[in-house]
Amino acid sequence: MPTTDSTTSHDILFPALPYSVHQRAGHAVRDVQLQQFIERATVTKDDGRKLVLEQTFGDRADELRTLAGRIKQHALDNLDHYLEQFIDRATQAGTQVHFAKDDRQANAIAMEIARSIDAKLCVKSKSMVTEETHLLPALEGIGCETIETDLGEFILQLDGDAPSHIVTPMIHKDRAAVARAFERELGAAYTEDPKELTQIARDYLRDKYRRADLGISGGNFLVAETGGVVICTNEGNGRFCTSAPRVHIAFVGIEKIVPRQEDLGVLLKLLARSATAQPLTCYTHIMTGPRRAAEPDGPEQMHVILVDNGRAEVLREETREMLRCIRCGACLNACPVYRKVGGHSYGSVYSGPIGAILTPALKGLGNYPDLADASSLCGACYEACPVKIDIPKHLIRTRQAMVNAGHTKPADRLFMRLWARSLRYGWSYWFGGWFQRKLFRMKAKKTLPTGTGPYADRGWLSKAPGPVAGWTSQRDLPTPTSKSFRHWWDHEHAPSIPSKAAEDE
Amino acid sequence: MSEIETDTRDALLARVRASLSRKAGDELTEPVPEVDDRLARLADHDDDLIAMFEQRAQEVGMQVYRCTAEQAPLRIAGAVAMLGVRKAVVDREIAQGLIDIDAVLTQSGVALIDWSGVGSDQGFGPQYDADLGVTGVAAALAETGTLVIHSRPSSSRGLSLVPHNHLAVVRASEILPDMLDYWQSLAGISGKDLPSSQVFITGPSKTADIEGVLIQGVHGPGQVVIVLIENA
Repeated sequence: MPTTDSTTSHDILFPALPYSVHQRAGHAVRDVQLQQFIERATVTKDDGRKLVLEQTFGDRADELRTLAGRIKQHALDNLDHYLEQFIDRATQAGTQVHFAKDDRQANAIAMEIARSIDAKLCVKSKSMVTEETHLLPALEGIGCETIETDLGEFILQLDGDAPSHIVTPMIHKDRAAVARAFERELGAAYTEDPKELTQIARDYLRDKYRRADLGISGGNFLVAETGGVVICTNEGNGRFCTSAPRVHIAFVGIEKIVPRQEDLGVLLKLLARSATAQPLTCYTHIMTGPRRAAEPDGPEQMHVILVDNGRAEVLREETREMLRCIRCGACLNACPVYRKVGGHSYGSVYSGPIGAILTPALKGLGNYPDLADASSLCGACYEACPVKIDIPKHLIRTRQAMVNAGHTKPADRLFMRLWARSLRYGWSYWFGGWFQRKLFRMKAKKTLPTGTGPYADRGWLSKAPGPVAGWTSQRDLPTPTSKSFRHWWDHEHAPSIPSKAAEDE
Repeated sequence: MSEIETDTRDALLARVRASLSRKAGDELTEPVPEVDDRLARLADHDDDLIAMFEQRAQEVGMQVYRCTAEQAPLRIAGAVAMLGVRKAVVDREIAQGLIDIDAVLTQSGVALIDWSGVGSDQGFGPQYDADLGVTGVAAALAETGTLVIHSRPSSSRGLSLVPHNHLAVVRASEILPDMLDYWQSLAGISGKDLPSSQVFITGPSKTADIEGVLIQGVHGPGQVVIVLIENA
């Protein structure tokens, strides 16, 4: 774990600001076990996503992603219209709709509802928004015991730990950690068998469902034309939380709106396939209001809290596209940086490439001054995104905004200025190249094992000088060749490229 | 709210409109994008829907027994024996006029638990003692092998969730090709005219949270058995 024992789950997702990724990322890349866990969780899902989209949609997959992106973009472009429609239709269905400008307001609304029904026990399914608002301590503070029921989140809650992946929150823990937590916190007999561990959680949580008076969920989609709330889950805990207790509250970000039911026919077809390579999650639950008079069960009250918490600001034109995100986690699984540093390094509820652009946008550029640097700009996130958010574009835009706002280090600014200057003239470019080759080759230790031919005299540089030192802290850098590319091109390549003049003849 | 002033509908809409540079009552910026059948549709009426539904349902880990209405009681009895269940909770209006489900279960030695008191005793009360829940469906989707179940007066939300085994009776006529056809069947219905709960079930309850090991039956059923009546 990149965090120490004294770190609470709150500190992991809500670190002291301004936050820098370097310390946690540095711990994470040196943690061999963590590296194995993340690799196992992400590579399989990334491969599965590509395979299932290809098998299901063939060459239509790309166009379908474009359509999904257009639908979400349209909903955002006209969000006021669709919010009004949703509020009206949901109210007609008997849902009580509330409005929260920020995290404190959202929690206050939930606490007020809990007080009004004298709730003593709350069962909760997975919701990123409630992580954002840090709801649990708020409810516990008014004497309402609150239990996370998603298996992964339940284990994290027992361990005082925080989620590290949007879809599969405890990829940074192993079965032994679960066994220890269940033995310590639940008094269960020690077992490392995942099936037995699951059974222990099932029995424990069923007792909670029976007694809970309040159920809390998130929401994957809000359907404007029907007033319905959609949640997608695999375990079934979401169905319990929204059906068994007397009162159900859904915490949903205002950006989750889609115009029509048929839009779900596009987005649902991409969501689970992109997240876990399933055709659909085991349960797709559409809730439209509380229990009807003739229905035997379901909640007597259904509440939706529409949470802004910075979203209305992100809705401005230059960042609006980020709000298309449907939280599938595909960009995390595809990202070479996430795969090395893990979710906690992002210092926020949203990790991975989408977190690197969304967190600074939601929480202020100055609070996360180097988060957008946590990317190699390789574009794998854009390729993976089911709603085609141009994440690399926003990473660059965020970096530009950081520079313009002066959130860069003096050393970095000096280095960039020197670099820009050295590229301006032929002679300084030549000199810079010559100096760098000389310096790196002088510092290199080992010889590359595979080199042949005239350029076989290369070595590995395990500790680069100056600003490149960070790059070699985790890996060795092959040294440059003794002669430059231009030298090779002019003297040995002997190209026979026809000149423009020759073509014209 | 007592302690803290909260947002209002108008304030939220005003902030949203400010960011969008829109005014109240503005027209849509463009017509809502059309859902292109050519891109999104994965099955249509020309497909062998029964075979497709069977295959896709099996792929996500559900068991499918195809039979005629006449064979159905025997099939259900066989499924019940295979699952080794003792106590069942049943949708009261299941497969009406086709099968006397209560009789089939009773003859198979399965006790029927009355779940009707469930409304007053929150949390699905007596259903926790059952090891089988039996339901019909509102629709089934061939595209993904999905069961669609609505909350209804005759059926608790818990029947397909609480017991460890779920048996669903599906008539061939209830199978729709694609999810898009299901949304079409609901066109124009909103608010209170919809059931409070529509659930798409695509496989048994699953988790892979512990080291990526796939486990069935976390909170919901670990086994889902579908009796598919081809001539009804």
